[in-house]
Amino acid sequence: MTAATENLQAPANVLPGFSQISRSWDREHSIQAAKILPGEYYVTTSDELITTVLGSCISACIRDPLTGVGGMNHFMLPGNKDTKKNKWAGVDCLETRYGIAAMENLINDVLKQGSRKERLEIKLFGGGEVLKMETTNVGKRNVQFALEFVRAEGLAVVSEDLGGPYPRKVNYFPKTGKVMVRRLRSLQTKAIIEHERKFESSLETTQQSGSIDLFD
Amino acid sequence: MKILVVDDSPAMRMMVVRTLRQAGFGGNDVTQAEDGAIALEAIRKETPDLVLADWNMPNMTGIELLEALRAEENNVDFGFITTESTTEVRKKATDAGAKFLISKPFTVEAFEKVLSTVLS
Repeated sequence: MTAATENLQAPANVLPGFSQISRSWDREHSIQAAKILPGEYYVTTSDELITTVLGSCISACIRDPLTGVGGMNHFMLPGNKDTKKNKWAGVDCLETRYGIAAMENLINDVLKQGSRKERLEIKLFGGGEVLKMETTNVGKRNVQFALEFVRAEGLAVVSEDLGGPYPRKVNYFPKTGKVMVRRLRSLQTKAIIEHERKFESSLETTQQSGSIDLFD
Repeated sequence: MKILVVDDSPAMRMMVVRTLRQAGFGGNDVTQAEDGAIALEAIRKETPDLVLADWNMPNMTGIELLEALRAEENNVDFGFITTESTTEVRKKATDAGAKFLISKPFTVEAFEKVLSTVLS
């Protein structure tokens, strides 16, 4: 039995709520890898790799250096046809609720594992301007939101690779905080854009938000 | 009408206040607290008519705040706005005396429906 096979049979512990995340053995880095898709996030206490591919979407990589607990999300703000409302600082765009929820989910799950908010180390990636035919720049809007969010929350951004005309592959090692970003060639852009458009469409057309329970 | 918004995230507090306005409740006196402990002190002094609280917060969580209020026989209308929406969380919320739970990300429509019912 090879080492890789052994590891596949005995993967690192998965925290509750993350069993649906696709995980496999990464031969290049000899480590268990969790691959997250648009709308997903993943938090781990183990020595794992978290990986994703970004077009105009954003990923925040967040960890507590003291505990080594960390995670990554992958989100975008759904399109707003009224560009006058496409601003975040004045909170005039309710689409930002998706971004805030994505950040809050990730931060809360890192904190639940014994981390402290004031120690959190944030790295931001993505927001590529890859949808060239769009009148509104989706990537730029996502970047603006991410930067405004961390500023409003008083979180420390230790590194970022945002914007630019290319998609990215991000590999994050939350135990050490190391990130490897690869800017992808245009050949791969079409498939990534298609994937993100489907995700954006799902945000706009399905009832993913606002579920309510009245207890009386 | 006094509404107290309790959330440790400044961004989320801004969004909740904004959504209250968009849902037609902007005419109310809306104040904010950044965790359960600060909210508890504020509620003792200000006696709001409705508390909208996050679940996960440092110092005192939303459910701890609700339990502390009920222990003091304070029956202020109380609802959660949270990313936590498991069956266990819903049961804890109802057992403690919450009136509703709105899941994040929320909509203006969710606010309209819940608040018009609760505040009527």
